[in-house]
Amino acid sequence: MITVEGLTKIYGNRTALDNVSFEVPKGEIFGFVGPNGAGKTTTLRILAALLEPTSGRALVDGADVIEHPDLVHERLGYMPDFFGVYDQLTAGEYLDFYAACYRLPKARRKKIADDLLELVGLSDRRDQAVDTLSRGLKQRLCLARALVHDPAVLLLDEPASGLDPRARVEMREILKELQTMGKTIVISSHILPELTELCTMIGIIDQGRMRATGPVHDVIRQLTAGRRLRITVLGQKEEAAAVLKPLSAIHEVVMVNGTIEAQYDGDDAAAAGILQTLIAAGIKVSGFSQLEGGLEDAFMKATSEDI
Amino acid sequence: MNRITIALWNPIVSKEYRSRMRTWRSPLAMTVYILLLGGVGWAIFSSTAATARNSFNGAQAANYGQVLFLWLILFQMVLLAFITPALTSGAVSSERERQTIDLLFVTKLPAFSILWGKLLASMSFVILLLLLSVPIFSLVFLFGGIELDQVLIAFLVTAVAALTLGIIGLACSTAFKRTLPATVSAYGAAFVLLAGSLLFGLLFPTDINPNATRAPAPPAVTYLSPILPLVVIGTNGPINGYGIRNGGNYLTQGGGMACSSGPNGVQSCYMTTVPIGKGFVGQPPQPSGTTIPSGLFSGWQYWQATITMQLAIALVALILSALLLPPIRQLPWRRRARGVG
Repeated sequence: MITVEGLTKIYGNRTALDNVSFEVPKGEIFGFVGPNGAGKTTTLRILAALLEPTSGRALVDGADVIEHPDLVHERLGYMPDFFGVYDQLTAGEYLDFYAACYRLPKARRKKIADDLLELVGLSDRRDQAVDTLSRGLKQRLCLARALVHDPAVLLLDEPASGLDPRARVEMREILKELQTMGKTIVISSHILPELTELCTMIGIIDQGRMRATGPVHDVIRQLTAGRRLRITVLGQKEEAAAVLKPLSAIHEVVMVNGTIEAQYDGDDAAAAGILQTLIAAGIKVSGFSQLEGGLEDAFMKATSEDI
Repeated sequence: MNRITIALWNPIVSKEYRSRMRTWRSPLAMTVYILLLGGVGWAIFSSTAATARNSFNGAQAANYGQVLFLWLILFQMVLLAFITPALTSGAVSSERERQTIDLLFVTKLPAFSILWGKLLASMSFVILLLLLSVPIFSLVFLFGGIELDQVLIAFLVTAVAALTLGIIGLACSTAFKRTLPATVSAYGAAFVLLAGSLLFGLLFPTDINPNATRAPAPPAVTYLSPILPLVVIGTNGPINGYGIRNGGNYLTQGGGMACSSGPNGVQSCYMTTVPIGKGFVGQPPQPSGTTIPSGLFSGWQYWQATITMQLAIALVALILSALLLPPIRQLPWRRRARGVG
């Protein structure tokens, strides 16, 4: 559904995007993560045919963003990270205006506006002036605006930024509903735990370069290579560390909040062997569990070193 | 839906009307406009009434009507030169500042439709102001001396000048990211169009050829200003002594509009200049009628030349705006460079 090939964007002396490539199949939710200034917004603006890349190409549902921006605009809904609203318009009029901009017939526009307001939970705000809505409500209205022409693809740039926890949860629920409606969604965000739960695919970008991309669990596994053990012992932390460090399967041993975390290579049998070794050395082990790597770990790993 | 309907059917126009008419600024602007124009009309009327208290006949009445009309139409032009750039110079740049322009770009509206919608909405307000001034102008018919076709042509010249200023304002708004520099440059362009072209006629007048068979005319650049045709329409007479010099040595400066009484008590008004310097003063043929006696637009009416030149400028400004506005410019030579057929 979305194909990005060797996308490069150079502003003067600064390379904002450096040969970025990724693909998002139909119906997937692609989480686009990276630190501030990594190139997320630049990528999304190029995908929305709002910015011309220096080189490379991007296709949305088969339409090239440079050659056929009109087709791209037909097929995608875009929600920027910062946006304004018009004064003197109500929420209903706001959606009606954008529906008219997409050349939808007048007879259908009212129903579309009503349905979308219901989808984003703003039915009771239909006649409220949009400039008097709170930030969270404006975000929801902007999402509804991006959906007026029923696009197959949604590009959402930081849709949850500046929202309180409750509004974030509500936004996440709306996005899940859109996922069930079969939309392909690209979402950039800093809120990593939410992305893990919501996204089926992920791309990590840093300093304009794509560090990792693919299904969420593959990326996490790829970046957090080596499994981790959390070991709790009765007062013998130093001795336990001294036993663990010489073992060939162990890469790293650190103390975290009074427990020992050890990174190791191998399968469950290797973990059992490590436990046996500790017990044989007379260490009184009160807790022994495997730690699952998360998106946060993957993100930190991807953005802290060159891959 | 055919192409013409698509081009004319523009949601931006209705949105702009809604936004504009729901604020207190529009009624206030209309009220101030009528008060100013009415105030000038009343002042001219009062001074005329005071002058005509002792002797008043039909010919004088016609002349008073002419003077009243001339002042009103010139004042209206100046007012619109202040209002129109303000209406359009923020049309696009304010969308950028408000961060709403990207949301328009991602719709199916082509960039030209965005410009067209903004222009139509602004110009509708100008037309509304012109319509509001009609009752004030109808006072002129109490005196006579002005025909309906003169009023209509004068309104046409004013409307086209406002349209040109509006499109130039729109081009400035497209070219500059911020509204402030866009507004400043739009007002600068308005000054050049209205007064700068007239100043050009004073600084670089046409040399009089004593052997010419036709009367000299001011340089063509001066026809850019709507003031010149409005004076010609208002006085229903030729431009005398403006924008010409004798043998290249006879400079003129300053001046304005003067009226003098004829033998039958009828006054005639004309543009004047003050001669400076020395030089040969010949006896060239004198201009007569309301057509341009010589030069590039020889035989044209002044208003025709003005409208033609202004529409040409407006067209160029509109094309430039349409090229500058889209976020990704589909210029033909760039498409060729990318190898697109």
